[in-house]
Amino acid sequence: MQKGGIFLNTEKKYKSVQGKQRAAGWAFLMPATILIFVMSFWPMIQAFIMSLQTGSSANLKWANPITFNYTRMWQDKLFRGAVFNTFFYLIIQVPIMLVLAILLAQLLNNKHLKFKGLFRTMIFLPCATSLVGYALIFKSLFATQGLINDVLVRLGILETNYNFLGTTGSARVVIILALLWRWTGYNMVFYLAGLQNIEYSVYEAAKIDGANGWKTFWHITVPLLRPTIIMTFIMSINGTLQLFDESVNLTKGGPANSTITMSHYIYNNSFGEGVANFGYASAMSFVVFIMVAILAFINLKVGDKRD
Amino acid sequence: MKKKLLTMILAGAMAVSMMAGCGSNTSSDSNSGEKKDDTASVDTSAEGDKELSVYAWDENFNIPALKAAEAAYQKKDPDFKLNIITQSQSSDVEDAVTLAGSSGDYSTLPDIVLFQDHYINRYVHDYPDAWQSVDDADVNWDDFSAEKISYSTIDGKHYGFPVDNGTVIFAYRTDLLEQAGYTIDDVTGISWDKFDEIGKAVYEKTGKYLLCMDGDGNDLPYMMLQAEGVSQFKDGKANFVDNQTMVDVINVIAKLAQDNVLYLANDWSDYTNQAIQGDMVAGVMNGNWIIPTIEQVAENSGKWEITSMPTLSGKEGYASNGGSSLYITGNCKKADLAKDFLAYTFGGGEGAAETYDAALTNGGVISTWAKAGESDVYQKGVEYFNNQPIYSTIVEMGTHVPTVEQSDYHYTARTQVAAAIHNIIDGADTASELKNAQDQVDFAMEGGNN
Amino acid sequence: MTEKKKKNSSAIQRRLIPTYIFLIIVSFISVFPIYWMITAATNQSVDVARGKIWFGTYFMQNLNNLLNFSKDVSLAHTMWNSFFYAALQTVLCLFVCSLAGFGFELYHDKAKDALFAILLLAMMVPQVATMIPLFKMISSMKLLNTAVAFILPSISTPFMIMMFRQNSRNFPVDIMEAARMDGLSEFGIYFRMYMPVMKSTYAAAAVISFMNAWNAYLWPKVVMNQTKAQTMPMLIANIAGGYTIDYGLLMLGVLFCTLPTLIIFFVLQKQFAEGITGSVK
Repeated sequence: MQKGGIFLNTEKKYKSVQGKQRAAGWAFLMPATILIFVMSFWPMIQAFIMSLQTGSSANLKWANPITFNYTRMWQDKLFRGAVFNTFFYLIIQVPIMLVLAILLAQLLNNKHLKFKGLFRTMIFLPCATSLVGYALIFKSLFATQGLINDVLVRLGILETNYNFLGTTGSARVVIILALLWRWTGYNMVFYLAGLQNIEYSVYEAAKIDGANGWKTFWHITVPLLRPTIIMTFIMSINGTLQLFDESVNLTKGGPANSTITMSHYIYNNSFGEGVANFGYASAMSFVVFIMVAILAFINLKVGDKRD
Repeated sequence: MKKKLLTMILAGAMAVSMMAGCGSNTSSDSNSGEKKDDTASVDTSAEGDKELSVYAWDENFNIPALKAAEAAYQKKDPDFKLNIITQSQSSDVEDAVTLAGSSGDYSTLPDIVLFQDHYINRYVHDYPDAWQSVDDADVNWDDFSAEKISYSTIDGKHYGFPVDNGTVIFAYRTDLLEQAGYTIDDVTGISWDKFDEIGKAVYEKTGKYLLCMDGDGNDLPYMMLQAEGVSQFKDGKANFVDNQTMVDVINVIAKLAQDNVLYLANDWSDYTNQAIQGDMVAGVMNGNWIIPTIEQVAENSGKWEITSMPTLSGKEGYASNGGSSLYITGNCKKADLAKDFLAYTFGGGEGAAETYDAALTNGGVISTWAKAGESDVYQKGVEYFNNQPIYSTIVEMGTHVPTVEQSDYHYTARTQVAAAIHNIIDGADTASELKNAQDQVDFAMEGGNN
Repeated sequence: MTEKKKKNSSAIQRRLIPTYIFLIIVSFISVFPIYWMITAATNQSVDVARGKIWFGTYFMQNLNNLLNFSKDVSLAHTMWNSFFYAALQTVLCLFVCSLAGFGFELYHDKAKDALFAILLLAMMVPQVATMIPLFKMISSMKLLNTAVAFILPSISTPFMIMMFRQNSRNFPVDIMEAARMDGLSEFGIYFRMYMPVMKSTYAAAAVISFMNAWNAYLWPKVVMNQTKAQTMPMLIANIAGGYTIDYGLLMLGVLFCTLPTLIIFFVLQKQFAEGITGSVK
């Protein structure tokens, strides 16, 4: 690219070389930076402007009062329900998933364990299934006449077929189960990678000191894995707060909108039921953005404090 | 070994996508192909003079109807070509208009779109530039069911050409009724209370539900109210709580569900695949477009018959649910051709008889055009329905459907009332649930009209 | 000696029995739905709906139905679309994000660190929020239904930049100086030294990027409204959103949609793990 480099590399021109390096550094991150600004921040600003407007997508006009869409949200029972559902999934599913993932990673990190690769592969396998696809797989597994019902009835656990997806409580549980199935292996791989960076001698030393399995796990593994845990936490929070495919494809948000997620509700306000309420949808998505940002920030702070 | 394989795969993928990537800027095979197709279907100015493009969504229902119309019009003009672009569902067409409207650029739309009747009023108001009035088309509008035409007539102007017919049928499995000691006549012109009684007997004897519906998109309240001549709306506002007929209807629905007479499916596929085709039910009540779904279970041929709906008072009930019409978009530059084509075929012109006969034979699409019912195809007995001449029966039933007040918020109301019903079945109080649903609809209206 | 070792190891194995049982259960749960998807693809719709768990004889019919599902476009074309968009997005994403990660870590100063923190904010921007403005942008550029529309918003992602940046910490800085002495340009260092050293990070990033692109559904549904431009997830959603659903056909579609990501994962498994390892050190 810069064939003249060799001539410039002299003491005299050292400063200009440094300048050149700095320029190169900036040049390297420019394409990515510009793309993020144009493809994320700029649309976000437009979304904010739109969140202050009402009307159909063809003739948006300033809302009256300007905060109309934001005040509207507090009266919107469905939105409150969607926020509740999303946080319900977040609070129940994310901790279970991450604990399970660490546990599995810990078990698979045992050097005496046989068929390690096979286990790891099988547990990771769900992440390779298509997102739209796996929701549909779970939907048919849990259908009223479906396989799970069939098995439970035959085993005598259920008397008659149970409408899993048509009952609020069980439909939420199915969504959580589906999420656990799809994402536990994914997070496990991160932890496994983290664990493999911990020298085995650390454990040996702990053993000699008489620490039991739980103690080593809590006092050695968890602290050493902390960066990984923070990263997976942020990723999971982000992913769960933006949950969409599962709600759409598994339950359609039903029954009676009792399993709908925030993203799904926002989407419905943009396109569903012929509503196309872009202003309101934008206002809600802005609130989601702020929620995610706050949670991620808290997460980072809490993660730092334990230092 | 493995590393080599990896490098090769990566290199291969890189090479492929690099080539393709470069090509996308200039003209690779796949991409230029795509672009050409885009221009064929989207940029209507690039079409041939005798070509029209249209969005439709059901390969087994309305697309055969459009093909029938194309064939009929080709008798008039052999060069005519209809480019049918298949959408996966009706909402795709609505989204296409919404998105085109958001960018203010309707050139992405085809010449004609098939559009759901319940949505069109709102879309014409929200996106006036997306449509063209067809008032001057050569159509005798009185030949169609007034109820059907009322949807596509907006602010006194005609916008659409009716395609199908939403007249509600109640289809019963006569063999199952018989097992419980009833005939089709016993369920014709009865009250919902009597229906409940019969339903309980049928469930006891056969284990099948006498009625089913998609609980998520619950059309029962709408249909049952229309059969009483009552709307869920009054003067443009939701009218649930103070609407005694509505309270009665909702209570009937909850009772039917609690008595195992009504099966409320989780969603559309649960309704069609599990309930209807999975042999869970002895009765289906919906717009007559549900017939092809029923007919897909070959072994039940001859066991079904259709009749009118029960009502609260016990007289025969008639209603209409769903349906769509064809609309000419603002992007259509050959509006005269489009109007002539649609008037000639779906609009009752010279090719109408041929169009509607073929649409019925190939797609099961039943017209609301009064004269269609007179043809031989409509008069014929249908083997699947025990040789009942169901099509002419349906056209006849369609003439009894009362016109009730419609609203742009039809589907919002449907969703909210469905949620209320769900809670009422679980034991919640009818009045407070309906109040809640009405508040929600008011809330949606307030947001949309601000 | 060997006797003792054996005894010792068999004692260890015995103690691991609960671990094995647990792992077998988890593995079974992980694999079963996939097994079920495969058997379902060989069965008739009614059997699938009723929960049949053995292989059937309906595979050819399902395949035939799938091949003829869309009258406008072939299955191969849809598969090619998905593959083409995903491969293009992966290559560009890897290039742009690794370049940025390289720049942020190895040329870092206060200003760049601050910029990096700002870019991370983009990770929290919900897709539903930017969808409509982005659509307007793409639409006004007349790019609807093109590969560019599909990939443009996903070429540069904070996650990928972060991953490359983290992994770049392992990159030996000393050799950069040596390379400069040898007259290599800054880009030359990136191209000739950074890229080869970071191989496993590229592999891991490629897996993640490809899977994301392959699975993308919401955005493509908005910008790819022509059947000719549709991708596999859209195809399955269409099968699932149809008037009546053929479950056997649907599951075969899901299988087709899952196979490529499965293969890529299997082939790149080891590199994936290595690449991820680097990122969380």
